[in-house]
Amino acid sequence: MERSHFYSGNEAIAQGALRAGVRFACGYPGTPSTEIIEAAARLEGLHAQWCINEKVALEVGVGASLAGARTLVTMKHVGLNVAADPFMTLSLTGVNAGLVLVSADDPGMHSSQNEQDNRHYAKFAKVPMLEPADSQEAYDFIAEAFALSEEFDTPVLFRTTTRVAHGRGVVATRDAVDLAPREYARAAEKFVMVPAHARARNRVVLERLESLRRRAEESPLNVLSPGTMDFGIITSGIAYAYCREAFPDAWVLKLGMSHPLPYAKVLELYEHVSRVAVVEELDPFIEEQVRALGLPVVGKKVIPADGELNQDVIRAALEPLLRTRPAGRRKAQIPPPPKLSAPAPVTDLPVRPPVLCPGCSHRSVYTALKRHRLAAMGDIGCYTLGALSPLSALDTCLCMGASIGMMAGYNKALNRKAAVGVIGDSTFFHSGITGLIDANYNEAEGLVLVLDNRTTAMTGHQGHPGTGDQAEGTCGPATDIESLCRGIGVRCVTVDAYDYEALESAIRDEALAPGLGVVVALAPCALNVRDKRGTIEVDDERCNLCGICLKTGCPALIPGESAITISDVCTGCALCVAVCRRGALSFVAADDKGQS
Amino acid sequence: MSEDRVRTVSLVGVGGQGILLAAAIVAEAAAAEGLDVKASEVKGMAQRGGSVVSSVRFGDHVWSPVSGHADVVIGIEHLEARRGLALLNPGGTLVCAATTRIAPGSVVRREAAYPDDLEAAAAARGVRLIALAAEDLAQQAGNERAANVVLLGAASTVLPFRDESWQRAIAAAFPGKVRAVEVNQRAFALGRAAVGEEVGE
Repeated sequence: MERSHFYSGNEAIAQGALRAGVRFACGYPGTPSTEIIEAAARLEGLHAQWCINEKVALEVGVGASLAGARTLVTMKHVGLNVAADPFMTLSLTGVNAGLVLVSADDPGMHSSQNEQDNRHYAKFAKVPMLEPADSQEAYDFIAEAFALSEEFDTPVLFRTTTRVAHGRGVVATRDAVDLAPREYARAAEKFVMVPAHARARNRVVLERLESLRRRAEESPLNVLSPGTMDFGIITSGIAYAYCREAFPDAWVLKLGMSHPLPYAKVLELYEHVSRVAVVEELDPFIEEQVRALGLPVVGKKVIPADGELNQDVIRAALEPLLRTRPAGRRKAQIPPPPKLSAPAPVTDLPVRPPVLCPGCSHRSVYTALKRHRLAAMGDIGCYTLGALSPLSALDTCLCMGASIGMMAGYNKALNRKAAVGVIGDSTFFHSGITGLIDANYNEAEGLVLVLDNRTTAMTGHQGHPGTGDQAEGTCGPATDIESLCRGIGVRCVTVDAYDYEALESAIRDEALAPGLGVVVALAPCALNVRDKRGTIEVDDERCNLCGICLKTGCPALIPGESAITISDVCTGCALCVAVCRRGALSFVAADDKGQS
Repeated sequence: MSEDRVRTVSLVGVGGQGILLAAAIVAEAAAAEGLDVKASEVKGMAQRGGSVVSSVRFGDHVWSPVSGHADVVIGIEHLEARRGLALLNPGGTLVCAATTRIAPGSVVRREAAYPDDLEAAAAARGVRLIALAAEDLAQQAGNERAANVVLLGAASTVLPFRDESWQRAIAAAFPGKVRAVEVNQRAFALGRAAVGEEVGE
């Protein structure tokens, strides 16, 4: 049933989100986006929260989307710079339930340090972009944005500007959208962006962009309105409103879905008029694409490239154009879809992916973690290799520091401890701390495993603030992770990652406890330890080659004819001894050698 | 071997086998010949047991650091050498460690088979195969980890560098380590001598 309201664009977005079935909304305040979360927080039926910053907000949002909740994430234009890391790779992974990111731009810099045009982010990340022109469109387009997000498996950029966000207008509300639940299904090749998976996803993204362009051609959001003049305008967002007042008799191509550009729609306009202008605030985003089609167009030559527009500015800028001779017809060239690189040739040769090193303490953590049915939100470092077979222990890898926010969003959306975050020590310092503070602030359930191997291992053992080791070989003050967690207000225990029993029980305790906790699994990177801890002996009578030790993925374990053999790369970490159920393996400490 | 064109040597193996060091020696030897050199490696995963490929290109003037194919492939591990065969055009040379076999996880877990068709595949591709027991020779030289330099010795028979350039490059690879230089010079000589009396499987 339709009812009329007088909403700001931001209120309309919140109301439209509720109507579209959004169950989770988060963001960081920033003018002109702030009132969306404020309005959402007053609504029944969805959870709204402020996050510590825009990057964490998007990571929390991705976690909620994975858990099956349609999710709205809001920020101002410069906030997307902070969230650009998860945003760029989210384009590759796609979503589970729909995810829409509102970027509220501020032409004229009423309340901002710069005037960047965030439409470039849609092109940069190869995601669709919707631009409402008023409150009614803000309300309506949000539902369309979520539908696109799920149909095309992509985040959607929803770009407003100050006059849309803070302008008010009459909004007719509509009945709620019916939604089927979206269960999360584990899919490492889609959600764990290690290079091999990301290469395949990149091709999906490039093909998706062409499908989206076909959709933009048919989208009811892209409307060609006939006029009575030999003059047409291509425009989007608030500039559309100005154009209708400045030139009520002009033809207008109004792009509600402004990326990717519907080429055929543009050509259709040129069939009716011989003079065309692109009217857009800030950069010549549409204009450059129209020029690339080989079509004559007037744009930033007369329309100011800085500040806000209005109907007077546009009228003054374009009226002289109407007195000029129309440009001659030119044949447009629609660019063909881009070619993709030749796929790697298929061979029968076994692949050799990188693996966790012999004796790597991460292997113990994953082996212990796999005993629990928890989604494991991963992060970036050597330990990302735990996502690969045979450990297959991670659900996601999005960007540096994303694990904790994703864990928090996932658990928050499901209202239980259903996910853990797995993060290395250097990554924790890089951008995990903010996620942890946010999870604590928003009272998220969660278990964070910090895999502390006292170095930035993957890139070749650089120092970080947790070790104090500096680039020039000097040593500065080090930050202690456990004290830091306690200072944040989160309980934290540190266990020896090689003490498998202690590790397993610490993980079990924290997995079952309510609230948020951190377990630091501490052991120096095996590559930085020269001496073997000991040796492993195999009882050939007891070993029946059941293969349970091989599931740890340790390169030192080689199946022999009738029993496991231990190769000389073994460091004596003894994880295999801990997992063997037949007592076939035993550990001989290096110190005991020669005495026994 | 015409001197006016750019030639490409690709070194393939498993992270940790000394591929980057061997590539540095090839590049240094080419530079000692007064040639222009460019090299490229992907080393992020080099210590994590993954496949590693490093390329060295040399000639009068080299523009690109990479190439879609190689004139010579040096394979420090058998499976990687087999994989590297695809980089060679007919007439190319594959120098490889015949007996160094590092099974990837899928082979250890018996989900995949280790290839055993190198000779046939090289012949089918029209590639000259120089296979030698590089680890044994390295051990003779004094350190089994010098297998990479044994293979350089073998490859030197098809590369246009003088012995003094190789020796200078080997010395430069181990600055201040007299014993390592000696071991590697011996390894190089044993590898070079082994060509012509190659061992099979």
